[in-house]
Amino acid sequence: MSYGSVATAVTARVRATFEMLAPDSLMIYQAAGKLAITFAEDRSGPESSTDILAASLQRGCSAVPNTRIHLEFQDMSAQQIPNLLTLRGGPRSRGGRARGRGRGGPHSGNPELQAQLQKDRDVQSTDTDAAVSRLSAVDLGYLHDPFASLFVNGPGTRRLPIINRGTYTRTTALDILINAFLSHPDSTPTVPQTKQIISLGAGTDTRYFKLRAQNKHRHIIYHEFDFVSVSITKERIMKNNGLLWEDEGEAFFKALETVPGFGEHESEWGLERSKDGITETTYCFHPLDLRHLLKTSKPVRGLRTDVPTLIVSECCLCYLEVETSREVVKWFTSRIPSIGLILYEPIGLDDSFGQMMVSNLAARNITMPSLEAYKTLPDQKARLAQLGFTSEGGGQEAETVEQIWEKWISIPEKERVDALEGLDEVEEWQMLARHYAIAWGWRGTTGWEGLATLRA
Amino acid sequence: MSDLDRAIAQLRACRPIPEAQVRELCHKARELLIEEGNVVTVTAPVTICGDIHGQFHDLMELFRVGGDVPDTNYLFMGDFVDRGFYSLESFLLLLCLKVRYPDRMTLIRGNHESRQITTVYGFYDECLRKYGSANVWRYCCEVFDYLALGAIVLGASNTLEPSKRPVGPNESSTQEYINPDTEIEVLNSEGGLISSIPRQKPKVFTSKGSSPAKTGPPGTGASSFSKGTAGNSSGAVLCVHGGLSPLVDTVDKIRLLDRKQEVPHEGAMCDLLWSDPDEIDGWGLSPRGAGFLFGADIVKTFNHNNDLSLIARAHQLVMEGFKEMFDNSIVTVWSAPNYCYRCGNVAAILELSEDGSGDGIIARSNGDVNRSDGGIMKEKEKVLLNGPARRYRVFQAAPQDSRGMPAKKPVADYFL
Repeated sequence: MSYGSVATAVTARVRATFEMLAPDSLMIYQAAGKLAITFAEDRSGPESSTDILAASLQRGCSAVPNTRIHLEFQDMSAQQIPNLLTLRGGPRSRGGRARGRGRGGPHSGNPELQAQLQKDRDVQSTDTDAAVSRLSAVDLGYLHDPFASLFVNGPGTRRLPIINRGTYTRTTALDILINAFLSHPDSTPTVPQTKQIISLGAGTDTRYFKLRAQNKHRHIIYHEFDFVSVSITKERIMKNNGLLWEDEGEAFFKALETVPGFGEHESEWGLERSKDGITETTYCFHPLDLRHLLKTSKPVRGLRTDVPTLIVSECCLCYLEVETSREVVKWFTSRIPSIGLILYEPIGLDDSFGQMMVSNLAARNITMPSLEAYKTLPDQKARLAQLGFTSEGGGQEAETVEQIWEKWISIPEKERVDALEGLDEVEEWQMLARHYAIAWGWRGTTGWEGLATLRA
Repeated sequence: MSDLDRAIAQLRACRPIPEAQVRELCHKARELLIEEGNVVTVTAPVTICGDIHGQFHDLMELFRVGGDVPDTNYLFMGDFVDRGFYSLESFLLLLCLKVRYPDRMTLIRGNHESRQITTVYGFYDECLRKYGSANVWRYCCEVFDYLALGAIVLGASNTLEPSKRPVGPNESSTQEYINPDTEIEVLNSEGGLISSIPRQKPKVFTSKGSSPAKTGPPGTGASSFSKGTAGNSSGAVLCVHGGLSPLVDTVDKIRLLDRKQEVPHEGAMCDLLWSDPDEIDGWGLSPRGAGFLFGADIVKTFNHNNDLSLIARAHQLVMEGFKEMFDNSIVTVWSAPNYCYRCGNVAAILELSEDGSGDGIIARSNGDVNRSDGGIMKEKEKVLLNGPARRYRVFQAAPQDSRGMPAKKPVADYFL
């Protein structure tokens, strides 16, 4: 397909404007420059090159600087962009979309199990919240994420400024922490230390796609864990948009397996790299209920235990029973000596805002056992210490989103963000942001220099 | 039944009225509002209300607690729209009531009564969703431009009238023990007494105002109560959405503004709608990016210079529904319970009763410095004017089942 035919075939359905793109995002601008030139000469339809660019970014067009542009336009109609809401087997889904969970399965007559499965679906629906909020923040210029729109059906919903600011602060805080983990001290030898990230309840998180787009993926092993239905959706969107192109030596894999008792095919998928006769996993999505992780004897594909590893739980462990969440973390910490953990979850149950949050979430059939157990920042730090992230060869820190906005965001950046929409609801922002915490802990000797120097 | 009464009935049922009717209503409202000054004079008794923010069902609860129009004389201090799901119904109902009972309903402008803010915070989207076009939003915005910027309440009594509202079966009635010395009374939504504060001796302040101790009476949840004010002199109450402006040192300066425009990004009109009191000296920068922060000294000087005993304002969420600051010289009234269906706060309205005895607040024009000294004022100390007796009715969000919302619909956003 020539670029020219693409130009006539694509009707940009999203009016993402050129100006919204990140000035610091070299990849995108180079892609943009190339695309703009190409289409400016070859423009035969009513679309402007900016529209084409927007469309290509919509589809996760990725480019390696100064080499070539990857364009994947297999399916052109907007309708074919998968809708998470309909794919995820939630209450609104029809037909066979529930992916066999409970429906027609061996336990379908068990009301207790049915309730649990419904609850799981309601928890999964929180990922749609996150994806919509992320797209809102991206569309308004808070965040740069060319992949955000792929995971939301339609043009998205504009969130209120305090929600956008919260999404921005949360994402930025996670970026800071993860970049600190990935950073290397000056004394690092020429071959950088390979590091591993394990994202629990990853949902439609786009972090790995962004790392690849920024060419930062070469020394990272990335694992994502989430429910089967999330896996199916994410794989589809990934494939349709060419989000995981095969870099040098890389090959896509997908493993099929029947899980006894569930009668469904849980299939890991991802990328493997072969070099000098050694094959290692670079990215793997594990369609696995974390509660099953504790019961299964099956090895976790591609999991390295000999490299510094960071577990990320962005509102995931908080949905598990406290004891289960502890066991999940211990499953990893007992196998991997050099390990860290980032938790992002609500706190502050003890005031009327917190009480209202509990009752509002309960109305959505969502409960967060962690809220009862860890009400304050010291509670969260104590939790990390109890999980083994102690000051001996490691440490633990915790901060509210309110304080992260105050202390971690530079003044010029705050001014930029404030200017996007203006934020009238100062008291409400403070109250809301006080009810979310980011806590992080680590242990191990190498690879934690960056994270250890970050202070709450 | 007139068209207007029919529209009121329809809006009370939380059903929008047709676009043509909105247009006519807005036209009538503008004709009415254009005749009002920037600072409307209101005579007590009056019930002063803070932000509503489209929480229609809670507005209905407010009318239940405070009494219906026209039986109760209302003054709403702006922010009728945005955030809640029913900005349209809430604002149009208030506007209908204004047109129907112009002398019993005063509406002043909040910072959300603005084209720019409503496009961000929900009212614009709501109009688009409910009518399919932005016409109704445009009509409403034209009304916003004509809303007064403030109000002066005259003739408020130093003593409370017995509560006229019915009292629940298990509540103690305030009528049994209304005390002429009561300055502040806090009632629950059924009229039961939560707390009562007697009037104190006159207070004197010098250049630096002290802030009240943060100890609320048990059961109120009020956190920033202070002892009541006392004294013989009296003053009026200025109502404004946000607060004061460094460009405005007298009420008369407000009267001189050209208000019939979109809320500017800066200047006196902007400050009146955006500023907040804060525990600082003098003026400070506002974290909202518009308006200013102002301290106790600013309020006390302004009140003294303008024969005011109190400034009533809204604009800031207060979890207890109301909050008096700076030795009771300014109060924040917040009337949107469980704000955004998420904050878990209670709401309040402020009732000022009519001065029937003749020894209460004397009605007079404001703005003349030193007119009411009566020989009291000395060079370096000023006696705070006697505040009117204040009755706060505190209420909670309307019961969920009265909202008529789909049960599955998420009511508030969280970061999940």
